Amino acid sequence: MRFDETELRVRFNEVDSWGIVWHGHYISWFEVGRMALLGKFHLLPKDFTQMGYIAPVVDLKCVFKEPARLDEEILIRTTVLEPTKAALTFRFEVLRKSDRKLLASGEETQVLLTLDGRMLYIIPQNLRERLQPLFDYLEEPDSPA
Amino acid sequence: MSAALVLELKKLIIETLKLEEVTPEDIEDEGQLFGDGLGLDSIDALELVVALEKTYGVSIPDSEVGERVFRSVNTLAQFVKEQSAISNQQSAKE
Repeated sequence: MRFDETELRVRFNEVDSWGIVWHGHYISWFEVGRMALLGKFHLLPKDFTQMGYIAPVVDLKCVFKEPARLDEEILIRTTVLEPTKAALTFRFEVLRKSDRKLLASGEETQVLLTLDGRMLYIIPQNLRERLQPLFDYLEEPDSPA
Repeated sequence: MSAALVLELKKLIIETLKLEEVTPEDIEDEGQLFGDGLGLDSIDALELVVALEKTYGVSIPDSEVGERVFRSVNTLAQFVKEQSAISNQQSAKE
């Protein structure tokens, strides 16, 4: 399974009084990774809205392994699991770029709603077709972490 | 309502959602499955939809239908029974 990678540098406003990145910022880094991956396949929130859907997050977890520090270069690795139900589950890894040390990992699940708030229990065919290139891309072998 | 089907559905709910400390006797036939009742959530609904489709070939497309079907085990059993009857009739015609 392939992970898509995107980079960022730890900013001053992301570091707490202990000199390490405050835990909540990892969640916005997941969002950076998610948008970078989805943007490649024209599956950004605006694209979902155009298709008539929104995809709110219903579950989120993050495991912290090592702290990230000010000015460090960070890699956000993102993938999506092939759905077994009408939900999209993203997996994330946060690595320090210099030694590719795993700093945190996470998982987030989004369900699908119509614009009038009806939750979909089955992924509609038009959305399945739009998602397929993303899953084809993610099926390819991953570069070593 | 068929007691056998109701019991089968209770077992399916327990197995699908891995409700380790719940027995079929703990689930009331008319009790709410979501919210205040058994306390299931939206992801549980998605898992159940997949299991029901695999086991009985019934399709629950969205929460509009789901809210009616998942009200209790009895309403779920009623839906499975009706849908199975429809699909049997269709098979007989073909």
